[in-house]
Amino acid sequence: MPAPILPVSNAPLPATIQPAGASTGSGSFRDVFSSAVQQVESLGKIASTSVEKFLSGEGEELHTAIMATNRAELAFDLFLQTRNKVVSAYQEVMKMQL
Amino acid sequence: MLNAIAGQLERYMDLLGARQKLVASNIANADTPGYHTQDIDFQAEFRNAAQLAPQVMEVEGLSTKNDGNNVSIDRESRLLAENALRFSVASSLLRSQIQLVRSAIKEGQGS
Amino acid sequence: MSLFSVLSIGSSGMQAQRTRAEMLVENLANAETTRTPEGGPYRRKDVVFESSEVSSPFTSIFNTQVQGTGVAVSEVVVDTSDPEKRYMPGHPDADQDGYVSFPNVRPAEDMVDLMGAARGYEANVAAIGAVKDMIQRSIDLLH
Repeated sequence: MPAPILPVSNAPLPATIQPAGASTGSGSFRDVFSSAVQQVESLGKIASTSVEKFLSGEGEELHTAIMATNRAELAFDLFLQTRNKVVSAYQEVMKMQL
Repeated sequence: MLNAIAGQLERYMDLLGARQKLVASNIANADTPGYHTQDIDFQAEFRNAAQLAPQVMEVEGLSTKNDGNNVSIDRESRLLAENALRFSVASSLLRSQIQLVRSAIKEGQGS
Repeated sequence: MSLFSVLSIGSSGMQAQRTRAEMLVENLANAETTRTPEGGPYRRKDVVFESSEVSSPFTSIFNTQVQGTGVAVSEVVVDTSDPEKRYMPGHPDADQDGYVSFPNVRPAEDMVDLMGAARGYEANVAAIGAVKDMIQRSIDLLH
């Protein structure tokens, strides 16, 4: 005689697999994003100040102003590319049939 | 749309152009009897943000030759080189500023 | 001290070497001049160089950094030693004893000095060219 069929019940999930929670302290996506925005803005301000000091003849070195401008530009470009990647990853996830 | 630094860069380039014109006429008149070297007070004009034409003034502290001409060809040729270099710096920095806005527009279209 | 102030420094060097060369050429041209408006033979001139602060037409008054040390001609020294006397009784400028006073210009030494002034001038021009190149390379970083 075959074993009795147990009724289907809500089996508890193993402890290691938990659904992705909302913001849980450091490392959350919103924090990373806003700190990136802040860094881009601060680099941009530093570059503006440096260029202004150079133009007004107050002793700012030429290469300092140029490197500050380069850093701000690179940070901004990197930020844009990262944002694009994040957006396309999000769109891919949304396309998945669940 | 472009930030404040772009306006300052443009003013800087305006003043450099005005100065370069005076340098060119100083060099042309290097042998004219009685000619006095002309220049602008660059820093004062730059700090004064009004968009007026810069004031032309005479330069102090130059030695005068017997015919009344006080053009120092060393000073003028060095100013010629420095003006051209600074103009190059300012236009490159301005291009960077414009490039920032352009890439923001371009990347915004892609998403 | 910014790169641009090197342009002022090199330019001061060029001007000083040019003045030095002018004095030397004046000496050489007047090596045999026995008659001058002040009376007496030509007296040779020497320039004295002195380091001096250079200013840049682009520095603001709020900039307190040292702008670099250039050179300037501090004075032109006229030779006051006794002139060289040569015995030429028929000369229009001869004195009662038949001696004519000639300037004690030393042509060979002044010629060598003139070459030195030309080299100095070239060296300053080369320095300015090198710095202009450096500035241009920095600008190229922006593209």
